[in-house]
Amino acid sequence: MTSEVQRTRRICLSVLLACVALSLICVVYPIYVIRPFRAQGARELAVALVVMQFRSAATVVSAVGALAALVCYWRAQPRRWRRAFATLGAAFVCVLAALARVNIYELMFHPDDRPTFADASRTKLDKDEKVIAIKIGVAARAYPIRNISYHHVINDVLDKVAIVATY
Amino acid sequence: MWGRDVAGLRLTFHLAGINDQNFLMRDEQTGSYWQQISGKAVSGPLRGSQLPFVHSDELNYGTWQSEEPQGTVLQDAAAYRFGYARKDWDVRMQRAPVVIDFREHGLKARDLMLGIQAFGASRAFPYDQVIREKLVEDHVGAERVLLVVGQDGQSVRAFRDRIPGISGAPEFYRMGAGQPGALMMDAATGSEWNFQGCAISGKAKGVCLEPVEVIKDYWFDWRNFNPSTTVYGRK
Repeated sequence: MTSEVQRTRRICLSVLLACVALSLICVVYPIYVIRPFRAQGARELAVALVVMQFRSAATVVSAVGALAALVCYWRAQPRRWRRAFATLGAAFVCVLAALARVNIYELMFHPDDRPTFADASRTKLDKDEKVIAIKIGVAARAYPIRNISYHHVINDVLDKVAIVATY
Repeated sequence: MWGRDVAGLRLTFHLAGINDQNFLMRDEQTGSYWQQISGKAVSGPLRGSQLPFVHSDELNYGTWQSEEPQGTVLQDAAAYRFGYARKDWDVRMQRAPVVIDFREHGLKARDLMLGIQAFGASRAFPYDQVIREKLVEDHVGAERVLLVVGQDGQSVRAFRDRIPGISGAPEFYRMGAGQPGALMMDAATGSEWNFQGCAISGKAKGVCLEPVEVIKDYWFDWRNFNPSTTVYGRK
């Protein structure tokens, strides 16, 4: 075995491990920082949001790098169990690339992407139900808090004005 | 409540994270992140941008329906109906844990406040105190404001405490009885005013006060995003 082959193995394995680390950070760090019932520091939040913004592209690049490193390692490494270990690592990076496209909070709070509305005369709500009320021109709309406190965000258009009702 | 048209784009928002228990929204179009309470982009290509403000009120449904019988109401999404909160959601949430606390003014983290951010200042009014007093004439910054509790005893609106076209402080009084819908009277014109802030009798009949946005919020959240806030009735 030449030292050149050993060096190639080390480089390929290092690239693969770096890709695992990068992808793991891209997926885990924002979840760690931006989780409910935790105080967010300004700096860590800023970093987490930047990571979230770029992690889709970063994890794809990382996955490509991991696959390239795997091919390189496979050629230089004859032992099967080490090849298998490297394959698992590259597969894990690919899974992380897929997970990076999912914002867990966007699923957790059940978005209402197609809100529907009805006339007040046909709506049954107790008189002491609380609503967020808006009026634009002569158009008036109410968002029951029991509903909007569940979805939190409603994208809407009222009298041609695009609004987002939040709670 | 915010407008969605910014920088020539019509944005579509999703709840995308939490910042000190106030949520962050992500817009589909640019991937920017926006703070819910301030409507300001805190990260992404539109960082620093501000969503246009849209006035809203938190009211009891009965009060709103009597004012807007032709209005429309957001309907339950059938798939999620069984997950919706009960109508005393804000009161029940007072038992939920908090991660930040500001032990100031003798307030607890989840005391309900009515917050006004206007005229270059922030001021919070303890909700229970406003409900007890029914009518509060105070100030936010250098501007006088008026908070009025509706006839349902729970809804609150705020107005600029000046009658358009009339000089001087109006001095409002809560009324016991009068015209249907009349809640208060002012000493300057002797007019009766309804919960929408419009004079329905007297010299000022037809005149409406300028509405001021008031947000019902927990003390910790209001104080966190309004660090220089003052508090009504507290030193």
